[in-house]
Amino acid sequence: MAFRELVLEHSHAMFRLAWRLSSDESAAEDIVQEAFIKAWKNIGHFRMESSFKSWLHRITVNTAMDYLRKHVRRKQFETEEPEWETADQVGVTVDTGTQIDISTQTQAAMMDLSEAERTALLLKHYEGHSIQEVARIMEITTGACKQNIFRAVKKMRIALRPLVAT
Amino acid sequence: MRNITDDDLTLLFYGEHEDPALAVMVAESDQLSARYEALSNELKLADSYLPPVRGDDYGQDVWQRISSQLNSEPASNGGRLKAWWSAIAQPRFSLAGALSIVLVAVLAFTLGRNGGQEMINAPGAPFNGDSVALANIDSNRLLTHSVSGHLEQVNLVLTQFANASEPGSREAAYATDMLVANRLYRQAAASQGKRKLAAFLADLEPLLIELAHEAQSGSLATRERMQQEVRDGLLFRVRVMNKQLNKSEISI
Repeated sequence: MAFRELVLEHSHAMFRLAWRLSSDESAAEDIVQEAFIKAWKNIGHFRMESSFKSWLHRITVNTAMDYLRKHVRRKQFETEEPEWETADQVGVTVDTGTQIDISTQTQAAMMDLSEAERTALLLKHYEGHSIQEVARIMEITTGACKQNIFRAVKKMRIALRPLVAT
Repeated sequence: MRNITDDDLTLLFYGEHEDPALAVMVAESDQLSARYEALSNELKLADSYLPPVRGDDYGQDVWQRISSQLNSEPASNGGRLKAWWSAIAQPRFSLAGALSIVLVAVLAFTLGRNGGQEMINAPGAPFNGDSVALANIDSNRLLTHSVSGHLEQVNLVLTQFANASEPGSREAAYATDMLVANRLYRQAAASQGKRKLAAFLADLEPLLIELAHEAQSGSLATRERMQQEVRDGLLFRVRVMNKQLNKSEISI
């Protein structure tokens, strides 16, 4: 069955996106499943203007937003300890004393962004979509999309700047 | 010189700035280079925002959890599914996009490697060799994301080709576009020293050439041989390479 192949192929990527949107492992798993079911139900609405990956991401983003509005978003954030890369692994020099703060600081900064800012930044920075694709996924104009990314970047830089060694 | 804002530098970082001259301006100015480096270092810290790792069988787990709900849906009828599958397998190549990505990636890489001397030391435009130049533009990330998107489309098209009993009406046109994009990405990968990726993309080319030309006008036997070739290993290799690109597991 073709849909099974698509589920096998896209599950990991959808989980990564859902987790970054929710910052909650169990919520991300729920979001992925719900998003695939929605994709199945709406396959007739898929249009060729976007790639299949973008279409799935749009469904995942919408599902995550719905989910987050219904659930408390921060509870897991306080306790979960995902696997973080060290600063050395991401190619940036930081004070050794502040390395421990990078993970929590990044996550906290990300969760302090507005929904639109966070979504735009995630789709651009981590998923590698073009700004035009991000705008399509979020169903906003390209200009609005850029503004969301610019605001998100400004806020993230302010939050992360103290962690970069001078 | 016009005022360069942090928003301009953000667009440059993500390879989205519409003015190609900006990269050169940044390379030529110590001040701009320093600003760009600061932005780059701060944004790279965000790469530490890694999700918990799922096992290899995660996709299968998801499928098992949702499949019972899918079976009850009317969408499982053959005609609708076939039409949908056919639709998603149709690629949406943007050769202009591929070309611009490749140009930016190669420019960034070359300037970074040569300190910018070769490409921007034009007569009358002195270059400060100590500047950060464009070494910090993440040409690797740019190329990886682009090739990954390309391989996703290749995967869809090859899957459809391997399972189609007769040629699709636009199969040849898609294969031609895919071939051109594939060559651009291969050249960019080679110029960045990504020999494994370049070799893999080179391996794809003969099949894409055949798909563009012979699969449409050739015999049924030719088509079946090509389908067998795709099913026997090429499709698997495309998927594995794309996964490796996405996970950055190996130095490609």
